Amino acid sequence: MANTKTNQVTTKQLHQINRRWLWSSQICWNYEKMMATGYLYTVMPVLKMLYKDDELREMMIMHNQFFNTNPFIGQLIIGMDIAIEEKEGIKSKEAVAGLKTGLMGPFAGVGDTIFGVIIPTIFGSISAYMALRGNPIGAIIWMLVNIGIVFLRYPILKLGYTQGAKIVSEYSERLNLLTDSAILLGLTVVGALIPTVVTAKVPFVYRSGKVVLKLQTILNQIMPGLIPVLLVALVYWMLGRKKVTSTKMIIFVMVLAIVLKALNILG
Amino acid sequence: MHITILQIILLTALSFWMIIDQLTVVVIGNFPLLVGLIAGVIMGDVKIGLAVGGTLQLMVLGVGTYGGASIPDFLTGAVVGTAFAVTSGKGLNFAIGLAVPVGLLMVQLDVLARFSNTYFQHRVDKYINVNDTKAVERNILYGTIPWGLSRALPVLIMLTLGNGIVNVIIKRMPEWLTGGLQVAGGILPVVGIAILLRYLPTAKFVAYLIIGFFLASYLKVPMLGVALVGVALGFIYYENHNKTIVKGANQEESQEGEDLDDGEYED
Repeated sequence: MANTKTNQVTTKQLHQINRRWLWSSQICWNYEKMMATGYLYTVMPVLKMLYKDDELREMMIMHNQFFNTNPFIGQLIIGMDIAIEEKEGIKSKEAVAGLKTGLMGPFAGVGDTIFGVIIPTIFGSISAYMALRGNPIGAIIWMLVNIGIVFLRYPILKLGYTQGAKIVSEYSERLNLLTDSAILLGLTVVGALIPTVVTAKVPFVYRSGKVVLKLQTILNQIMPGLIPVLLVALVYWMLGRKKVTSTKMIIFVMVLAIVLKALNILG
Repeated sequence: MHITILQIILLTALSFWMIIDQLTVVVIGNFPLLVGLIAGVIMGDVKIGLAVGGTLQLMVLGVGTYGGASIPDFLTGAVVGTAFAVTSGKGLNFAIGLAVPVGLLMVQLDVLARFSNTYFQHRVDKYINVNDTKAVERNILYGTIPWGLSRALPVLIMLTLGNGIVNVIIKRMPEWLTGGLQVAGGILPVVGIAILLRYLPTAKFVAYLIIGFFLASYLKVPMLGVALVGVALGFIYYENHNKTIVKGANQEESQEGEDLDDGEYED
């Protein structure tokens, strides 16, 4: 393949791209094109190096199209993109546009699950549990872990740049397995979370002559943490229905709490 | 206790930073517990900051702003809740009763910020057409302003006007409402847990949810211990399935070989 451009992305530029992605990927997020501006801002130094005038405008327009992915691993796409662009130049326009739209969805799925759900669930559960007992250690460790993750984001760009499209197909099976193992850990922690962080006491007492039955004691004999389980099951079921949003559920649970308190069922 | 001007400035700055943090480095942003901890440090009462942040954290476990959905802003809730819990001296449940409605109202401002950035998106579109890369970059970074102000301004207003208004609210609040909110504070984490279970492939891994629940509710294993069991189960899962992947690949290869042999015979 004829290599018309002698321009090559330097390590220094890769660092610059990493910094730009870190600070700008979502900074101009909007309903129209979501992370398009963040992507454009990130690759701008490369565009300016590779293209001039009309070509530059054409490529800016291409990179200014709708884009949305997970910011923790989205730079893998950018790495592949610039590797292709520095080789093929403007000819790669359609290929890059396809690569971006093709990969943003799957990457969002994996990245959101691991960085948006699993890690916050595990650290959030443990450190919130400690925090409610007045212990800040968990929260401080979590903050340090988050700082560590910032640095882990840096090599991902380089990986995309050097390995290109190869990695997506090659590692996908192991990546799924890793995600599954992480989900499994997350669910174990969530299972433990239900009886420990949901506090629902039943003050109801049944009296008949000399017989005094505390409802909470009976419930505990059936299963400790029964009320929290039932509540989670109820909300889980309701969330599966159409038009039920998390915001609506929070309002629902608040009203439910006020009603159950008024009826002396919970207290 | 009255809030000082310095505390108002610091909490406003924290509010501006936490949303920018959430969009970029993700060290404290996104996590009410960590925001609550810092708000607690500013207000001189780490314990209440941890308690407010920790309680709110458990409500939003696994709730992310994926694909641009707005979620209750319990970060702002944590700042305001912690500040007023300290100034009023009314403790955790009062703070939660305040933080939850604040978080729900803040959804509107999140929508407004995401909408405002569409204006800068259009300016970016315009400057691309005239090939003005400097102006393109500048307008992308302007996105910082609507984001930051959408959190900082409401907090500033609430903290400066707050004391009087909050006092009126406390005095007027009827018993059934305060009692109900107290119950709500206890059971609201079920929403976060249920959302998380909806997001994850819970049906596939429900066994691990039950294991986690059993460890915590029957055996009273602390959260860190449960997490350790989860890590162990994750390792076992990974090892077992990694073997089957490798095996499966080998089998496919040998089968292909057999197919070839068969073909030769038939020839």
